[in-house]
Amino acid sequence: MSEGNLAVMKPETMKSYIWLQTADGSIQQVEQEVAMFCPMICQEVIQKGVGSSKNHAISLPQRVNPAMFSLVLDYCRFHQMPGRSNKERKTYDERFIRMDTKRLCELTSAADSLQLKPLVDLTSRALARIIEGKTPEEIREIFHLPDDLTEEEKLEPLKNTMDDPRIRLLNRLYAKKRKELKERERLKNVEVEEHVDERSVDDLLSFINSRDPKVVKKKKKKKKKIVSSNDIHDKESHDLHSKQQCVVKTGSSMREVPNLPSAEDDISTPKARSEDEDDEIDPAMREMLDREVEDFAQRLNSNWVRSLGQERRPVHFSINGNGTTRRHTGQSP
Amino acid sequence: MTEEEEDSSAKMSEDVKRYLKLDTRSSAAATSEPPCSSSSSASALANNKSRNFKSFEPPCPDHVLENVLENVLQFLTSRCDRNAVSLVCRSWWRVEAQTRFEVFIGNCYSLSPLRLTHRFTRVRSLVLKGKPRFADFNLMPRNWGAQFAPWVAATAKAYPWLEKVHLKRMFVTDDDLALLAESFPGFKELTLVCCEGFGTSGIAVVANKCRQLKVLDLLESEVTDDEVDWLSCFPASETHLESLSFDCVESPINFKALEELVVRSPFLKKLRTNRFVSLEVLHRLMVRAPQLTSLGTGSFSPENVLQGEQEPDYAAAFRACKSISCLSGFRDLTPEYLPAISPVCANLTSLNFSYANISPDMLKPIIRNCHNIRVFWALDSICDEGLQAVAATCKELRELRVFPFDPREDSEGPISGVGLQAISEGCRKLESILYFCQRMTNGAVTAMSENCPQLTVFRLCIMGRHRPDHVTGKPMDVGFGAIVKNCKKLTRLAVSGLLTDEAFSYIGEYGKLIRTLSVAFAGNSDRALRYVLEGCPKLQKLEIRDSPFGDVGLRSGMHRYCNMRFVWLSSCVLSRGGCREVAHALPNVVVEVFGSDDDDDDDTVTGDYVETLYLYRSLDGPRKDAPKFVTIL
Repeated sequence: MSEGNLAVMKPETMKSYIWLQTADGSIQQVEQEVAMFCPMICQEVIQKGVGSSKNHAISLPQRVNPAMFSLVLDYCRFHQMPGRSNKERKTYDERFIRMDTKRLCELTSAADSLQLKPLVDLTSRALARIIEGKTPEEIREIFHLPDDLTEEEKLEPLKNTMDDPRIRLLNRLYAKKRKELKERERLKNVEVEEHVDERSVDDLLSFINSRDPKVVKKKKKKKKKIVSSNDIHDKESHDLHSKQQCVVKTGSSMREVPNLPSAEDDISTPKARSEDEDDEIDPAMREMLDREVEDFAQRLNSNWVRSLGQERRPVHFSINGNGTTRRHTGQSP
Repeated sequence: MTEEEEDSSAKMSEDVKRYLKLDTRSSAAATSEPPCSSSSSASALANNKSRNFKSFEPPCPDHVLENVLENVLQFLTSRCDRNAVSLVCRSWWRVEAQTRFEVFIGNCYSLSPLRLTHRFTRVRSLVLKGKPRFADFNLMPRNWGAQFAPWVAATAKAYPWLEKVHLKRMFVTDDDLALLAESFPGFKELTLVCCEGFGTSGIAVVANKCRQLKVLDLLESEVTDDEVDWLSCFPASETHLESLSFDCVESPINFKALEELVVRSPFLKKLRTNRFVSLEVLHRLMVRAPQLTSLGTGSFSPENVLQGEQEPDYAAAFRACKSISCLSGFRDLTPEYLPAISPVCANLTSLNFSYANISPDMLKPIIRNCHNIRVFWALDSICDEGLQAVAATCKELRELRVFPFDPREDSEGPISGVGLQAISEGCRKLESILYFCQRMTNGAVTAMSENCPQLTVFRLCIMGRHRPDHVTGKPMDVGFGAIVKNCKKLTRLAVSGLLTDEAFSYIGEYGKLIRTLSVAFAGNSDRALRYVLEGCPKLQKLEIRDSPFGDVGLRSGMHRYCNMRFVWLSSCVLSRGGCREVAHALPNVVVEVFGSDDDDDDDTVTGDYVETLYLYRSLDGPRKDAPKFVTIL
């Protein structure tokens, strides 16, 4: 092994290669100076003496798949060359990171596990730029993240809240629904679960917007399955109880707000559904959902209906010096 | 994939939108994950894709990103971005909380110190603001609150590595400062703006114990004179001081100690002395610190008037300080010496003459050379003529503040719309203006709105109450209307003069970015307040005094008080009943009522009339430290 080490130490003797194995099992050889640019690989070679032959290939961390590794190698190949100017490097970097967000995430992770800090910083910065100036909803969408914060937690930003209170309530209702459905999940078989899950949220939406035939149609099909199972009936009534409780709790935490405006249209629409639809739906569930929606509508459509515009993102706060207005009594600007 | 997602998102948005009668933009929040997101089984995925839901990707991107999220977040420092990140999802909330090093709290009563320390574990810098701005005008009784004590106690335990504290309008005691000095061995920056409750003894402790201190800035604060020579309390070795400001300290200082301190502070860039520092002392300091970039010149008056060569060469001292870009002080200016600053004029970016009674003739030779000035503060003693000189030369001006030399409400006043118009024509890049005057015209204000599209801060204070356009006799509605219509970047507005409800309808309609609004002696009726509360979507801070707004107007803002930092209404026509209604309807908002003095309990308790209403949102309910004269509804 000492010979192998020597070869590593004196690159000018002959072109040396390092053997590396990516997470998928495939092995490749990479020019030594390129591979050694990665501290993690460097460490493996020097401390453990591996990488000098196919049989002793260095196992790369799991987060480094072949595609990412190829990108990392490109980066290393470029930057390990000493002769390049700062401007060249910068231009290369700017072009290098032009890729879709998913790959950027993977690349950041791969670079991180290889301890290649310059690349980690480069990709992290690029991701930060993507995040800059976006709302939480937009960020969630870009990175495919769940909206799993409770309302309490969302209230917490020390600056002004991002969302309109109505959106928060809607999210809370969704979150509650999700929780309830998770409960049911645990008590039924998998296939049926899924239908129930989706449909309940679907239901809610269809009640909200019963005009959409597409949604209703889908609902029809799946509902049959649910209604036919006895288990579910029982669970339904059980859940009815728990749902009621939730609704009641919601009620008590909100204060009485006067001025219920004439948004009754929205509340009455669910009830004005056709007979066909009614047949498919378990009446207990429908009643429960109706009540919840009505409750929800009442709470939402109070004074807030009149609010103009949406407060989405807080504008950047700046700490204002207020000037020497202290000395000046009387009117204040 | 993306299109599909977009479609389903859009569809869900439509649903929500129709139900809630929102516009499409705001319903983005409704695109939350379908319920089975937490259990990502393969069949769920398959079902999802066929159901035209927002496609649920396998959890990889999230987990992948979580590994490196800390790295990414280090490049996000703005408060807005940090807040957005924290609201994305639970895991991001956690990582963001662990990586937020600078915390800004705009209202110290919006949450308890415990909540801060529980959520953010690695805070290095804390910015806290206490009393609302109108407290500066004696509209708030003393001992109202905003004590630093609970905060320093909590952070002392939670953040031993704390480096920076910036306080504004807080009540800080000497004990607080002592605790701070003892608890944070690596403490670097202390800035106290408009604070009170402490004295030179507290400052001495900080100077002595904070060995890593880089910044000690006391700005516009009330500092009691405990007759302690705090300047001698700095450690005898070389210091890390970069900025030392004590121009508000109204007590004599030890000049020798200051000089020696300056000598052993090689990194000192900003030095703002108080009015006890004469020109002679200033000269000695400047000679020893030619690297200064910002200088507060103290009195700018000689202690002893010497003749001829015996007098120090002040101009030479200024010439030697090649890096000076910011000048202030001039607390007791002797005019003959003003020309000494000429050598640095060309490099000046900031000039503060607001303590000096400078005439136009004194100003003109100086300002003629100040081509690079971006910030200029002065007294109205410079007259319209002086402002015209500024307009002629200072093409880079971004911020102008003109204060009244004589703040009485009935004097004639040396500046007017003429000066304002001149500035608007000469300084097109103007972004911020604070202008005190006795008379103004709609024409001048309109001109400014048209000439200065970059304005973000417009604060016009026409002294004297309800003063109309002094040429036409009409209300100032048109002028302020033009400002909100034309200055599309406006975030801060202060109005004055004779204003009808119409002015407020303009503000509500066109003030799309306004975050701070100050109103005094304006408006005819509750409609004005309604216009503002039902418009101005970004309004955060609303301070109103002496205007005819009552319960109806107050009620019209119920839908948004949760989303504002605070609302202040004093000497309006509010009743306790109306205020109580708000308090009961909004559990997350604290509603305080009190009088302007330390009234007898009788007055504040029995009367229905509300002198002052101060409401603000709070995560932790009403505060426990409210004094007797404050009633929390």
